[in-house]
Amino acid sequence: MAGKAAMWSMNKITVLFFATLKERAGVSSIELVLPPQARVQDLKADLRQRFPGLEASLASVLVAINREFAFDEDVIPAQAEVALFPPVSGG
Amino acid sequence: MPEPDFPTYFAITEQELDLDALLGRITLPSTGAACLFTGKVRAVTRRGEAHDTAYLEYEAYQPMAEAKMRQVAEEIRSRWPSVEGIAIVQRIGRLDPGTPTVLIACTAAHRDTGVFEAARYGIDRLKEIVPVWKKEVGPDGQAWVEGHYLPDEFD
Repeated sequence: MAGKAAMWSMNKITVLFFATLKERAGVSSIELVLPPQARVQDLKADLRQRFPGLEASLASVLVAINREFAFDEDVIPAQAEVALFPPVSGG
Repeated sequence: MPEPDFPTYFAITEQELDLDALLGRITLPSTGAACLFTGKVRAVTRRGEAHDTAYLEYEAYQPMAEAKMRQVAEEIRSRWPSVEGIAIVQRIGRLDPGTPTVLIACTAAHRDTGVFEAARYGIDRLKEIVPVWKKEVGPDGQAWVEGHYLPDEFD
């Protein structure tokens, strides 16, 4: 059991929100623990529950893991910095 | 791999963009041609839903924006090897009409080996992949400008 707890605690990640997602979540970042081998789509499902206001944004949201674009099937590594944001509008 | 004296400068800044100084950073003794694009905040927009703008507010995911700016510069170098200096700067924060918001500048020895195209590519590419967002604030309220580009695994 101690081994399993240790494995879960290693899967703590930081989630950053930007632009409309930050406004709808009401926070700029959270830390959370994911099951091992959790994928981006699992994180989205988790966030849908935690932040019902994000529902509208999640359909077209972009995701980055450790500053690289990531997609629904990608596994989230332990201690990852995951960012969720709308399609970019800089320039 | 660029020659060591070919400068690549990129930044996210809250400071006013000094276009001359930025061009100066990438001007070399060999520079005969410099192409500079700067975007500005429009007070009046006529394309699409016509509207007036009081100001824009820009936000960035700074560490990833810097990494993606570096990538844009690498893509420019790979497509136009004759480009020598490259500068890519995005300003963030509250920006009033008339203010320069972004600079893309490329320098080269001559004008006919792609320096115009490289600068054009740089701004178009920044608008696809660099994580920056702007919010329009106007007389009728405020709204985030929606981007349209969905990156894939090659972006």
